[in-house]
Amino acid sequence: MPSELSRAAAIVGAAEADQIGYLPEPKSSMQLHIEAIHNVSKQTGIPISKIDGIFAPGVASQIAEYLGIHPKYIDTTSVGGCSFEMHVHHALAAIHAGVIDVALVSHGEMGWSVRHTQGRGRGAGRGAPDPWSPDAQFTGPYGFSGAPSNYSHAMTRHNYRYGTTPDDFANISVVTREWAGLNPRAIMYSAETNPAGGPITIEDVANSRMISWPLTLLHVCLVTDYGGAILITNPEIARSLPTKPVWIAGAGENMSHSNMLEMEDFTATSAAASAAAAYTMAGMGPEDMEMAMIYDSFTVTAGITAEMLGLAPRGEGWKLWADGHASPGGRLPINTNGGGLSFNHSGMYGQQLLVEAYRQLSGTAEDGGFSGDPGKQTSARSCVVNGTGGSLSVTGTIVLVAD
Amino acid sequence: MAEYNKPIPEPDPVSQPFWDGAKAGKLMLPRCSDCNRVHWYPRVICPHCHSMNIEWFEASGEGTIHTFAVQMRGFGGWADEAPFVTAYIDLNEGDRMATVLRGVDAEKPETIKVGAKVRVEFEPASDDVHIPFWRVA
Repeated sequence: MPSELSRAAAIVGAAEADQIGYLPEPKSSMQLHIEAIHNVSKQTGIPISKIDGIFAPGVASQIAEYLGIHPKYIDTTSVGGCSFEMHVHHALAAIHAGVIDVALVSHGEMGWSVRHTQGRGRGAGRGAPDPWSPDAQFTGPYGFSGAPSNYSHAMTRHNYRYGTTPDDFANISVVTREWAGLNPRAIMYSAETNPAGGPITIEDVANSRMISWPLTLLHVCLVTDYGGAILITNPEIARSLPTKPVWIAGAGENMSHSNMLEMEDFTATSAAASAAAAYTMAGMGPEDMEMAMIYDSFTVTAGITAEMLGLAPRGEGWKLWADGHASPGGRLPINTNGGGLSFNHSGMYGQQLLVEAYRQLSGTAEDGGFSGDPGKQTSARSCVVNGTGGSLSVTGTIVLVAD
Repeated sequence: MAEYNKPIPEPDPVSQPFWDGAKAGKLMLPRCSDCNRVHWYPRVICPHCHSMNIEWFEASGEGTIHTFAVQMRGFGGWADEAPFVTAYIDLNEGDRMATVLRGVDAEKPETIKVGAKVRVEFEPASDDVHIPFWRVA
């Protein structure tokens, strides 16, 4: 039995910034936010002035100020790439409670362009770290240099525990690149649009530059620019709009740790718990999911998460890709936009997952959508969306169903 | 001694007993006096039972490799040492520490084994701060 929160709100529009990917001229993260918000307002016919709840990692009040609006619900939850799945969860509750009518979840991030303004390898907008934090004292001295240097430890442990290999996980890169070949907005769409684009093989993945053993470059996501916005509203307003609603059937969030130092099991994430909450709310289970949007910051993230979502047995998530189930035409399409691995990954990728899930379930992809690009890849009517933030730390799961 | 050119942690009042131990070549760990369980990193509250009665004791300095990776690049002084091997160490007394492994060949990761026994050693980074590293036996 679904809970009373299930389908109490719907995503009614999802749009991206005018340009995403490797921008020829840098744009500020605020501009990327605003372009996407303007586009989703046009798409849905909901005036920006009607937004009364704003959700964005860290910067919700800055966006509202920039837009000259005074929302009555302000949520800056910022826990990495899964923040947006949590925003959807929180918006669902706020709309169900009658606190707000129209929630904006917004993302703008110059993951690529920041290199031009602040130099390569510098995160945007990070404050000075606390020198007394556990991170600074007990992992800081040891030369970890960002996400890849942490996630590689999960691959080593999965390989040890289940007898898997990096080549097994390379199937995820290969299949995800196939999907990118169907999406003109994907960075790796084709060799014509990017010298590194076009189809790849397991050998290509294995032979690409070593980043953090055992992860080579093609096990690792892109670093790009992105803006994306979605609007969520109650059933009454949703029914009055020109766009199709995609119903939020279930939502859940959870965490296992913040610093990887505290990760109990390097082959498991809290996606098992956040998915259990989402499935329970929806009155559905993994067997009911017809497609999946799974955070692929790294191949190992996607493989482990597929296991946590109940889509495959422990140790065997990678087989969904290796056996063709996740591929175009397969029984469970996964990451139909080309993923963080080959479409776009701005640093936080959870919004890209939601925008693509809306596109596939709403039919906006079918008619060219907001960007005029084709992109209807599947006739799926249900989708599990899972975001992962930090170092496999925090997760949010959303179950979406078509109208 | 060549000047230590990698990040040097700054002890705080809670972690000071650990760093005092490190300077004396001892691995000091925090343990809850109520539930008797060890936790790492140091806290003012036990993450298992939420008691605030925390005591310090000298641990064996022994553990095993839980998992590891080879870093091909690093920031600051670590850039000069790449490739180097980071690891998480299961402590014999419980819980886990991050480290850079000593006594391993970063060019041959296949020779490094999950589960291998390791022992702590301390490298002087400044007069007051000696940093623990773990060496494969």
